[in-house]
Amino acid sequence: RAGSDGQPGKFKPPPKPVIIDKEKQGVERRFLSPEFIPPRGRKDPLKYYMERKDMIQRRKVCSIPEFYVGHVLAVTTADPYANNKTNRFVGICIQRGGRGLGATFVLRNVIEDQGVEVCYELYNPRIQAIEVLKLEKRLDDNLMYLRDALPEYSTFDVNMKPVSRLDHEEIPVNKLQVRMKPKPWSKRWERPKYNIKGIKFELPESKMKEAQKWSQPWLEFDMLREYDTSKIEEKIWKEVNKELKK
Amino acid sequence: LKVQDCHVLRYVPKEESGGKTAKLLVGGKNVAPFSKPESAHQIFKEAGVPRKQKISTFNVTDDAIIKPGTPLYAAHFRPGQFVDVTAKTIGKGFQGVMKRWGFKGQPASHGQTKTHRRPGAISTNKASKVYPGKKMPGKMGNVYRTSLGLKVWRINTKHDIIYVNGSVPGHTNCLVKVRDSKLPTCKEHNKNPPFPTFFADGDEKLPEDLFDEEIFQFTEPSVTYT
Repeated sequence: RAGSDGQPGKFKPPPKPVIIDKEKQGVERRFLSPEFIPPRGRKDPLKYYMERKDMIQRRKVCSIPEFYVGHVLAVTTADPYANNKTNRFVGICIQRGGRGLGATFVLRNVIEDQGVEVCYELYNPRIQAIEVLKLEKRLDDNLMYLRDALPEYSTFDVNMKPVSRLDHEEIPVNKLQVRMKPKPWSKRWERPKYNIKGIKFELPESKMKEAQKWSQPWLEFDMLREYDTSKIEEKIWKEVNKELKK
Repeated sequence: LKVQDCHVLRYVPKEESGGKTAKLLVGGKNVAPFSKPESAHQIFKEAGVPRKQKISTFNVTDDAIIKPGTPLYAAHFRPGQFVDVTAKTIGKGFQGVMKRWGFKGQPASHGQTKTHRRPGAISTNKASKVYPGKKMPGKMGNVYRTSLGLKVWRINTKHDIIYVNGSVPGHTNCLVKVRDSKLPTCKEHNKNPPFPTFFADGDEKLPEDLFDEEIFQFTEPSVTYT
């Protein structure tokens, strides 16, 4: 490169690339399972504390991996009427509900052209193992619209191999826009109350505009509905980690 | 069910009390003494105990008398016992006959004029009066009711919690009276309780958690069938 006085200047080596090796940095990702967070109410916090102790006890025996809605899981439960006395079900997690020991998650799969949804309780003593086969988050918290989507979006191979993944990487978000079957649907997913971002709506503009009539824009400013869980989460995270490391 | 600061307040011998057995007055949760007059504090001063929110009576036999002032703990009950739980039900206010007594009401359409949730006829022609105790609309709830024969599955001695089967009358955080079951089928299960009660300063050292034999404990591995 020519210098300021026209002569070729001294060679400046290019700046060295900065490599952030996340493995060595050891940045821990915090994940607190949503069923640990107590709901807002007038109940005694002692009740939630006792439930958390029981939940931690159960997690020490049967480890429950970190998973979100949209992951593909395989669950083996004890079944007295099956051949091997175990029952293995593979499916995509549609929703996670409940708090405390009654926390549930619903797995959906399409087996031989029949859609099957099974609701499992996380802390059920009959569950022997939960494996995460594929990790990916979706755009929504609740994938119930897969019932009205084309069946190809809910089919997962029962003998799928677990996708390998490094521990420190971020969980990828799948921005898939799902195509739906023709209307009528089980719920009117185009309405703003469900706030779904993962559907490719092929409805005419007039229908989408009409659906916006049911929008409630004042809800996000309602202060009584705010439930700030950050401080509660911090405390519970420390408590749970301390117990689990024992 | 949490046992919160229970103390025995007074012993009433058989002759003074109206019934067939002696009575023990037991007080519940601790509460500030400022909102009641001095005369109401008499019982608590005699027993040497802070003012309690609720006082209830228990009919006791003579060999089960406890000195006033002793604290009562959750370990008074053991897993496997059966228990009756009494509390005031949730008050629903003035309610109509369909909610209060479960009447069927009338159809919603087919020509019904202004009559969909009414009781209909209240008596016959021959009686020419309404019988006392006729089911009619009125205040529902806020009444003492008992759920009988509840099994005790687990007891936590550190926090004084009794894990009881099924549901119990009353709203969340309400005060509740727990007694040994009076049902004849539960008599054999209720034998060998800590008698007259569990004393914390006694010789017996209980573990933090007491479980029934049949219950699944979270320290055990997952259930498998063979």
